[in-house]
Amino acid sequence: MPLSREEIEEIKSILSREPTLEELAMFEAQWSEHCSYKSSRRLLRLLPTAGRNVLIGPGRDAPAVEVFPGVAVVFKIESHNHPSAVDPYNGAATGIGGIVRDILTLGAKPIALLDMLYLGDLRDSRAKWLAKGIVKGISDYGNRIGIPTVAGDTWFDSSFNTQPLVNVACVGIAKTEELVRDRPAPRDAILVIGNPTGRDGLLGSSFASKPLSDNPSEDIGAVQVADPLMEKILIDSILELARKKLVKFVKDLGGGGLTTAVAEVAADFDLGAELRLDRLHLRTELTPLEILVSESQERMMLVVDKEKLADVVAVLEKYDVPRSLIGFFDGSGRIKAYYENKLVADIPAKELAKPRDIWRLSRPPVELVKLLNPVSDIPVVSVAEALDSLLSSPNIASKKWIYEQYDHEVGIRTILKPGFGDAAVLRLDTGDRRGIAVKGDANPRYTAIDPFNGAANSVAECYRNLVAVGSTPVAFVDEPNAGNPEKLEHFWYFEMMVKGIAWMTNELGIPVVGGKVSFYNEDYRGRQVKPTATIVGVGAIEDVGRVKSIDLKHEGSTILVVGTTYPELGGTEYLARVHGIEAGGVPTPRPSSELRNASYIAKLIDDEIALSVHDIGLGGLAVAIAEMAVLSDIGVEIDIEKIPHRGCSRLDEILFSETQARYFIEVKPERVEKALELASALGTTAAVVAKTTGRKFYTVKLGSITVIEKHLDYLRELHEESLRKTMV
Amino acid sequence: MGLYRVVAVVSYRRGLKDPEAETIYRDLILRHGYSAVKEVRVGKQFTLLVEAESPERAVNYVKEICDKLMIYNPVIHELYVTIHA
Repeated sequence: MPLSREEIEEIKSILSREPTLEELAMFEAQWSEHCSYKSSRRLLRLLPTAGRNVLIGPGRDAPAVEVFPGVAVVFKIESHNHPSAVDPYNGAATGIGGIVRDILTLGAKPIALLDMLYLGDLRDSRAKWLAKGIVKGISDYGNRIGIPTVAGDTWFDSSFNTQPLVNVACVGIAKTEELVRDRPAPRDAILVIGNPTGRDGLLGSSFASKPLSDNPSEDIGAVQVADPLMEKILIDSILELARKKLVKFVKDLGGGGLTTAVAEVAADFDLGAELRLDRLHLRTELTPLEILVSESQERMMLVVDKEKLADVVAVLEKYDVPRSLIGFFDGSGRIKAYYENKLVADIPAKELAKPRDIWRLSRPPVELVKLLNPVSDIPVVSVAEALDSLLSSPNIASKKWIYEQYDHEVGIRTILKPGFGDAAVLRLDTGDRRGIAVKGDANPRYTAIDPFNGAANSVAECYRNLVAVGSTPVAFVDEPNAGNPEKLEHFWYFEMMVKGIAWMTNELGIPVVGGKVSFYNEDYRGRQVKPTATIVGVGAIEDVGRVKSIDLKHEGSTILVVGTTYPELGGTEYLARVHGIEAGGVPTPRPSSELRNASYIAKLIDDEIALSVHDIGLGGLAVAIAEMAVLSDIGVEIDIEKIPHRGCSRLDEILFSETQARYFIEVKPERVEKALELASALGTTAAVVAKTTGRKFYTVKLGSITVIEKHLDYLRELHEESLRKTMV
Repeated sequence: MGLYRVVAVVSYRRGLKDPEAETIYRDLILRHGYSAVKEVRVGKQFTLLVEAESPERAVNYVKEICDKLMIYNPVIHELYVTIHA
């Protein structure tokens, strides 16, 4: 987004003179939405960010939480939506690169990646081309830097045909005392390390802060080619520097390039800086302006005590990391940039780093009422056919085609393989049985219909996934992806998503320690994609030997459903896929049921009563129990009459409602009594509804009547092969 | 009608970074002393045997294939199509 007339006036008054071209470019980069959060900051303050486990909250490149005494987890989410729309392969790959470097800035070792992809309708050739490129880009980059992609979320919807959402997250671990978090001080040296700077990504953040042009070839400046080999040596060298305590502070050169990195550190620590731009290592000859705002990938800034400079250089030399000493911090509070002894920019750091908040107005779109109207007169269809249709829906079908391209077992930490757990579970380096669970979730349909409740449900879904594997949720990061903040109706979605996330996380008592905001997700006709609130959560696990997967374990087990089912078909996958309706409101978020039912699940896992646990999400309970059966090749028989519900009057309401706060658990018959006792002690609704059988069939009964009966091989084919068939 | 061997080469557009080429140049070519080499570019080559009325038509046919089937991304790649001599 170019600077507005008012902003240029403001710059003149900050400088008390006409800005130079270099200065204008620096302001444009730093005051872009992407770097400055000028439209979103006011709302982001609603998020609960504090908590006893929070070591570093929002503000740094990445937050840190202490999952166990002395063990820190650093995790963060990032979007690369706009770059991925013009160059899916490199756009997605450089997204991975960026998020890994954010984790590295605290000296944490990156151990896992997550990818939350909201892609177009695969029947559209461009959407399919984008989807393939994005997945390939993530897998190539992740595999080459040796970090497994362990979990994620994938969604397909025609609103993402030309503008997909590529949200990626990285999880790192460190000893708490080894986190890099000293205060930069005057006379500290500024080193830029990594790739030589080129003309790539010039004003890329500014590019991400406006809609795509209708001719993507014009956006060439924002394209960056990924270089995973450089990233790898950055990882190795920075981890060594952190371990040896040789660096005071590390920052990624991401959006806004050198300008943003220097300005933010100077502003945060009441410093100024003197930069010698001609000392930076370059790939091609560049003007000082280009040097200031280039967003070449795989570069980082190190802040180093002068005394330790030689030691730092020795480590960098060992890994063959290109580097330049480009200047020093000082106490002046101003960023002064020189090029061949000529002063090209001289700006007060604080004013550059933190533009004034923009108070954006918002307004719910009038058409929204139609989406919130309860849907009545849903035609009665065969629930057996509906089940087939849901299991083969790309949103529900197995994502094997995607995760099989990822090396998800590098580093042998992965305890639960993708597809087998509601969340991924990773071992820590602590030499004992402790671990963490991670998962990312969103439901673009929910947030498009009802952004407040939809976003709250994303939080709840992520929370349940962490609980289902047996972890204690510790913290979230969030990424609202919205349209154009200058449009009142688009901004309203953003506002309501943030409020929904803030409300739900506060109710659940889990802080949102960081995140990212993505605006301008609209196509060239100005239509916003489905606004999407992506949530990534981390949970702590005392004993990875006890984690629960979703596949059934034994024949002859009893299956309990936890939680009450309500007639909530609005916004469901069933209504969309089978009836072609994306309306009717969304399932009500139920924070107190979430908390109660989560503590029940935790107790069942602690007491070793639960054999397997699966959260009931997209597609409702008919889909959830089918997934458990298909993965294990153990038959199930469920009786609808036994399902605790309130107000349901139709089969489809019970089978496909996406009521929140529900789980299935598999229990040995002799422990059922104990499980039910615990439920009533905790005030949780739990009921015996199904059993596992020796027959390889999935059977749904209504008392003595058989409503659905399908062979597991048939359902497995639908579930496991549907996406692959669409992609090849 | 004749049979023509058509070669299509897809590489990164000039000005864009070419990490694979840079690595080959730096860590292989220069390291082994071949300092007369000033630049390396890397690409992907496709050779197609095409039946066409003329060499020009064969070339255009292959260009069309590359465009329509999204064999390359015009935003980042350049395409070079020629008749194999």
